[in-house]
Amino acid sequence: MPEPAERRPVPAAVIGQYSWGVMLIFLLASACWLLLPYTGYLFSALVFLTAIVLMGVRWRRGPVLMMTLLSAAVWNFIFIPPIFTLHIDEPQDVAMFILFFAAALSMGHLTTRLHEREEALEMHHREKEQLLAEKHHAELMAESERLHRILLDSVSHELKTPIAIIRAAVDGLGPGNPFAEEIDTASRRLQRIIENFLEMSRIESEALRPQPDWCEADDVIHAATAPLQRELAGHVLKVTVPADLPLLKLDSRLLALALGNVLHNATLYAPTGTEIELRAMVENDVLQLSVRDHGPGLPAGGEAQVFEKFYRAPQSPAGGTGLGLTISRGLMQAMKGGIEAMNPSEGGAEFTLWLPVQSRPTLSLP
Amino acid sequence: MSTALIIDDETQMRRLLRMVLESHDYKVCEAADGPLGLNEAALQRPDVVLLDLGLPGMAGTEVLKRLREWSDVPVLILSVRDQEAVKVEALEAGADDYVTKPFGTGELLARLKVIQRRRFTRQSPQIIAGPLTLDLLHHEVTLNDVPLKLTPTEFTLLKVLAEHAGRILTQGQITRQVWAGQFTDSSEGLRVHINHLRKKLGEAGPRIVNEPGIGYRLEAE
Repeated sequence: MPEPAERRPVPAAVIGQYSWGVMLIFLLASACWLLLPYTGYLFSALVFLTAIVLMGVRWRRGPVLMMTLLSAAVWNFIFIPPIFTLHIDEPQDVAMFILFFAAALSMGHLTTRLHEREEALEMHHREKEQLLAEKHHAELMAESERLHRILLDSVSHELKTPIAIIRAAVDGLGPGNPFAEEIDTASRRLQRIIENFLEMSRIESEALRPQPDWCEADDVIHAATAPLQRELAGHVLKVTVPADLPLLKLDSRLLALALGNVLHNATLYAPTGTEIELRAMVENDVLQLSVRDHGPGLPAGGEAQVFEKFYRAPQSPAGGTGLGLTISRGLMQAMKGGIEAMNPSEGGAEFTLWLPVQSRPTLSLP
Repeated sequence: MSTALIIDDETQMRRLLRMVLESHDYKVCEAADGPLGLNEAALQRPDVVLLDLGLPGMAGTEVLKRLREWSDVPVLILSVRDQEAVKVEALEAGADDYVTKPFGTGELLARLKVIQRRRFTRQSPQIIAGPLTLDLLHHEVTLNDVPLKLTPTEFTLLKVLAEHAGRILTQGQITRQVWAGQFTDSSEGLRVHINHLRKKLGEAGPRIVNEPGIGYRLEAE
């Protein structure tokens, strides 16, 4: 059974008990002194013993022990003849004194122990109740998260199904039809908007659970660029990944989404035909992915603003939701990483996604 | 002419898939939910099944498990994004591949073609996947007729991927076939060997594509 009461610092209440103990013994001793002619000196021993037992039920061990020692001394000094000395004449008084001391000590010990057990039991009970309350809270949270996920899944299904039908139907019209191509472009845009909103909602509801697994940086880059083939077609994507980059433990799906949004952003702002540079490096167990474009750069002083929800830079091309970079930041934060934006002195804009990762060197082959 | 069974609760999706498939010489039958789909599969004996994962009532994975109790017809899963765990579950339960909605018809037809190609049967000691030839008799690999030096593990890994060229394999499916239960930290070990294999295959070789959260696909076409 835990006895946390003994490990805590001495509280003010215990100091109070010591002083009350001294006072009590003084009062009882005075009363017994007055009654001494009628009761005899043994009576006072019983009074002290009773006080120790009663106080032991409510007080701590320290004050009760102090009362025991003090009352033994007082009884000896004032009541056992010869009085006002600690000396005892009669052998039966010596025996009486020893018995009193033993009885007071054991009674005090027993009653305080009883008291401590009760306290510990109550504490245990309180802890148990608190644990139950916490468990209940956690269960509620899990349930609300589950409901949220079901809702998101069903909204996602409802929104994506019509788009899937439109896309498949447009495909069925065959290539070369300019109207079909317009529908196709618009439906892709709509799909991107819907996916952005769903992703934002997932980030905000904290329903996002990164699941890190070992992967190669190339896999992340491939997963980010593959769905952007059409958007990237107008630019030259230059990828630099060191050949000796280690294996990394991270959630490649989430990182690819974050990187994909940054790349898509670059294709929107950088003029057609310009280079977009993507660089990966690992330093001190931090993975850095930087995307540099040769567009107009970020608005002066707006380096942090670009991550704000619905922020759109002045002269932004139509077709964005102002969510892409916010999502990237949310995804990176969910993975305990981050994203930064700056204007390099040579012009253009540069975004750096960073993420602390566990890494494992790969063997270099001849 | 092969028969395709579409199990999807969306009428419009079924109608559209029917048009796409019929224009590519498939005979098509449909079912709007799991139990009906299982009945159709038993009655029509389709050559390929297109199964939506988000069915009401009996979930897609459950339909698949029931189907796999008596049939090994190739199954293509239709799913939406962010269902990685469900996709893995379906693939491990015996689905052959998946496409994510919205999908292009080109992608859908290509996947169907790959999974309908009869699954690997052990009749020849050779596997050919694009520029890659594996000689199982002598444990030799050539890439564009140039021999490749592989370790025994890399050879087995490449063999598993090449046997299923063009098809997705989950991490679990690969490790179970390559290490047959004697490997514990499968994920990390698999990545290391894939990394080595990619380096040895180089630019000229077929790509081993990773699909995040799911597994690997050898692109040999």
